[in-house]
Amino acid sequence: MVQSVKRKQGWHLLQCLRKVFSWRASLSWVLEGLGGEANLKPENVEIHIIDDNFFLKWNSSSESVRNVTFSADYQILGTDNWKKLPGCQNTTSTNCNFSSVELKNVFEKIELRIRAEEGNNTSIWYEVEPFVPFLEAQIGPPDVHLEAEDKAIILSISPPGTEDSIMWATDRLNFRYSVVIWKNSSSLEERTETVFPEDKIYKLSPEITYCLKVKAELPLQSRVGYYSPVYCINTTERHNVPSPENIQINADNQVFVLKWDYPYENTTFRAQWLRAFFKKIPGKHSGKWKQILNCENVTTTRCVFPRNAFPSGIYYVRVQASNGNGTSFWSEEKKFYIEMKTVIFPPVISLKSITDDSLHVSVGASEESENTSVNQLYPLIYEVIFWENTSNAERKVLEKRTEFTFLDLKPLTVYCVKARALIENDRRNKSSSFSDTVCEKTKPGDTSKTWLKAGICTALFSIPVVIYVVRLFLRCVNYVFFPSSKPPSSVDEYFSDQPLKNLLLSTSEEQTERCFIIENASIITEIEETNEIDEVHKKYNSQTSQDSGNYSNEDENSGSKISEEFLQQDSV
Amino acid sequence: MTYRCLLQMVLLLCFSTTALSMNYSLLRFQQRRSDMVCQKLLRQLPSTPQHCLEVRMDFQVPEEMKQAQQFQKEDAVLVIYEMLQQIFSILTRDFSSTGWSETVIEDLLVELQGQMVHLEPIQKEIMQRKNFTTGDMTIPHLKKYYINLGQYLKSMEYNSSAWTVVRAEMFKNFSFLKRLTGYLRD
Repeated sequence: MVQSVKRKQGWHLLQCLRKVFSWRASLSWVLEGLGGEANLKPENVEIHIIDDNFFLKWNSSSESVRNVTFSADYQILGTDNWKKLPGCQNTTSTNCNFSSVELKNVFEKIELRIRAEEGNNTSIWYEVEPFVPFLEAQIGPPDVHLEAEDKAIILSISPPGTEDSIMWATDRLNFRYSVVIWKNSSSLEERTETVFPEDKIYKLSPEITYCLKVKAELPLQSRVGYYSPVYCINTTERHNVPSPENIQINADNQVFVLKWDYPYENTTFRAQWLRAFFKKIPGKHSGKWKQILNCENVTTTRCVFPRNAFPSGIYYVRVQASNGNGTSFWSEEKKFYIEMKTVIFPPVISLKSITDDSLHVSVGASEESENTSVNQLYPLIYEVIFWENTSNAERKVLEKRTEFTFLDLKPLTVYCVKARALIENDRRNKSSSFSDTVCEKTKPGDTSKTWLKAGICTALFSIPVVIYVVRLFLRCVNYVFFPSSKPPSSVDEYFSDQPLKNLLLSTSEEQTERCFIIENASIITEIEETNEIDEVHKKYNSQTSQDSGNYSNEDENSGSKISEEFLQQDSV
Repeated sequence: MTYRCLLQMVLLLCFSTTALSMNYSLLRFQQRRSDMVCQKLLRQLPSTPQHCLEVRMDFQVPEEMKQAQQFQKEDAVLVIYEMLQQIFSILTRDFSSTGWSETVIEDLLVELQGQMVHLEPIQKEIMQRKNFTTGDMTIPHLKKYYINLGQYLKSMEYNSSAWTVVRAEMFKNFSFLKRLTGYLRD
């Protein structure tokens, strides 16, 4: 009983479970049927564009292998005109190629949508974020053609995409190519170079296998492409006529001097030139190289050609040697810039002293430059060199203005200025020659002015004084060295009594002296003598009382008087 | 005394601030000269049958070219560079049917390349600072316009009539360039 009950219970349990499972199965089926749209939807949709090849990739959410197809549409952003994306209609795989879409404009934003279909069921649209094809596009590998020399490899690179490429139509000439080259024997010795579409890789060894790969870049947009496949080539054996090396070009007045090195004698050379822009254009331009006229069949390792043979621009130059054994490969191409044919004339300076501590400078254009339009087309700045005439210390100033002033100078000092014109911010630092040096003295200062005034005043006052002193001096000189022959005034008076008239008119009148007639000579004379002696004594006494020091005079007087007495006594 | 110091300080400051933006002044002068030379060279190319110009072609000239629009100096540099590049690219195509002088075309190419070399340092600097995917659509519009010109030439097999039309477009380009050059100021 118990067993049968147990068996019955077990059976019921089993039935229950079966029902549950079948119910679940049917439920899942129903669920699948209902939510199948959500599961069908594509996921992780990605766009890949390489050059003009457009790919769409996605994941399918449905794991079951069923008849699910996918279709995509596209439209230009902003329009409401969904079109079928060619190559992506009813596809069973999870990727498609829609390169055949004829996009008129790769610079416009495009919208894409994709959905899954299974029979009559379609999923909802998965909309891709709008994108600009040009910006999404990746740069594909370029096409490379190689040619070998003994020490160089010639590269001919075609830009990525086809010639009719829509994607790179506007950038074909802007590609730069990066080459990685190594010896096949040792990949460690790698070298990377940036080349033009038609270019050469130099400094290689003869008879070696070199391998290289190339990728294209758009440097100004910072975009880098995929590498090409690896190409390998053998360099040839050493050529019996080596190529010229170490090409140099120097400018010398109105000519250019082209020099190179060559190890052997008895060789003729020729040099060619090419305008640099040809390098940017893909395709062979070997026909564009032109012969430099003065450098054909020269036997020296240099040649000279006039400057005006080449208008301004950027050029490449190459040299080739030939002798009895044959002709060498072309040398390395040397790039050189010929500057613009602008001659900057030196400016004309004028210097003016305004105050005692400043000088005003005026910079003008010279007469020659008035005729050319250089100064109007280029912004000029002036390098002005300024120094005190007596010292060597120079001050250098860069001025944009044509009128400016130097301040804080010393009064009554000579300063000198010279200047040259430069093109503003020119990397090549092109400049004119220096102008003539102009010097000017600063005005005297305020303190100096008062000194000057004082000086003038004193000068004015001192002039009459000086004149007076000079006259005195001259008088002294005359007195000492050139005495006058006029007698003193007292003598002059004496002689003035005898006028000349008497001398001339009077004839025989004798000049007589006053005399005394002597009768009683002795008495009279004695009386006179005693009187005289008394007088003398009186005088003697009076003299001695007054002049005690004049002994000599008294002696003389007394002596003379005594002698007179003796004479008178004798005469008596 | 202090007044004099102050004046000199002010002058020094003015000079130093202007020193940084002087690059654009030089560029403007160079560009102006280049525009003049290019227009002069273009005039030397004879324009063949005038009736070619009667055909109205829609090259989808960008609105920016037709209308007077303000440009910032950085944008002006980018637009000028793009235009010089594209004009260069067009002039490298086959013009043998026109009978134009190779020397004149080469001189034009030299001039365009020379001016691009002058612009490159500033252009590079601006591109590094600026995200290329900006909302500004001037350059994509220009690219489209030049693609149209190129495709037109190709479809007409580079005959002289097509080149005459393109030459007329070049003149419009240079007058736009002249306008852009005016924005290269500080």
